[in-house]
Amino acid sequence: MISLYMAGNSWAHRMPARAKLLSLFAVSLLVIPFNTLWFSALMLAVVVVLYASLGKRGLEKLKAVRPLLWMMGIIFIVHVVLGDIEQGAIAVLRLLAMVLLANFISITTHMEALMDAVEPLFWPLRVFGLSSRRMSLAVALVIRFVPVLLAVYASLQEAYKARTTRSNSWRLLAPFALHAIKMTDHVAEALIARGGADGFDR
Amino acid sequence: MSDILKTISFDHVSIERNGSAIISDVSATLSEQRIGIIGRNGSGKSTLVRSLNGLLPISGGTLRVHGVSSEEGPKRLARVTGFVFQNPDHQLIFPTALEELSFGLRQIGVGKREAKDQGFALLKDHGIEQLAERPVHELSEGQKQLICILAVLIMEPKLLVLDEPFSSLDLRTRAALRRKLDALEQQIVFVSHELDALNDYDKVLWIEEGQVKLSGKPGDVIPAYQRHELFGADFHFAGAAVS
Repeated sequence: MISLYMAGNSWAHRMPARAKLLSLFAVSLLVIPFNTLWFSALMLAVVVVLYASLGKRGLEKLKAVRPLLWMMGIIFIVHVVLGDIEQGAIAVLRLLAMVLLANFISITTHMEALMDAVEPLFWPLRVFGLSSRRMSLAVALVIRFVPVLLAVYASLQEAYKARTTRSNSWRLLAPFALHAIKMTDHVAEALIARGGADGFDR
Repeated sequence: MSDILKTISFDHVSIERNGSAIISDVSATLSEQRIGIIGRNGSGKSTLVRSLNGLLPISGGTLRVHGVSSEEGPKRLARVTGFVFQNPDHQLIFPTALEELSFGLRQIGVGKREAKDQGFALLKDHGIEQLAERPVHELSEGQKQLICILAVLIMEPKLLVLDEPFSSLDLRTRAALRRKLDALEQQIVFVSHELDALNDYDKVLWIEEGQVKLSGKPGDVIPAYQRHELFGADFHFAGAAVS
């Protein structure tokens, strides 16, 4: 859920969602035994080619990985400190490739198709009275509100910076949480106004 | 007499929020097609119109909206009354415009494929089919609010309530959206601080301290409201104002 759906009609968009998810599953299992540097690099290269096949907009979506780079940095440094530079490089390349591959699926698969594809996995939850309809609503809400919450945080940062000249502080966390909670009230209201999570009586 | 199926009637309606009365003993019959609601922040405007959709339960009296009584429960009211909120970011629940529109239809029992087709058709009617698959957070404020309005209209409400829906929009976008509203056949209740926008309306209600202070033609009510608010008693920021 790092990146968002990219409208389009490429080969990847047309591929069935379930096939994409199963391929991702298969690839993530298959890479485990191949613990070499050249293989990991090759895999990352293949993933980048997949993005390139979507055109210029596709390549731009590679940026999705940017927020994770510091984490990759730490993983690499830990390996260097432990004296295993090669293993560090393999770990980082492999992580990048897998994250980007998963992200590739989220940018080329419509949320609804994705939900339909994984719906059978939610069937056991029916025992607890959770409908798959509610699950897909929940997923939609997450995808929808991540950017909204990021915008809220940015506006708090702006207000803070306007008076302190510093752009970030732990002090923003409490107001951010309050804004988020207030927002859930508004969204719940909007949902209720159109019949609530279960809809109108059929 | 006016047709009860096209009328809103408040009969001694009171509404409480967190234990205090926000609306007290309001009686009014609204059978006109275009109704404006004006008043200060915190006067009870939003509370009053929320009751039309069943978002807030009334604590006293009877409310009837296009043949549906408040006693039948909030869901029945929500079915006849579409509600457009102030901030589209709070109303748009889905990541894309098409999903937002088809959601409303799914809510009333329309099948998945058909909901999608109808949603797309409505976007096309308004010349914005190219927005169908775009993530809503990338849309302009005006586009977002139009999607909100269409997402409500697609459920074919008999009454459309809008609570200051244009307050973050520029002049041109407001005018364009207002033209869309003017063309609708639904009864409209419009809460607004843009008094000019209500000049062509059939009736304006001025709400103050939870009651109807004045109602009638915009030409009578709006100037009275302006005189009262601009040349009346001094304004104190320390005064109670909870909105």
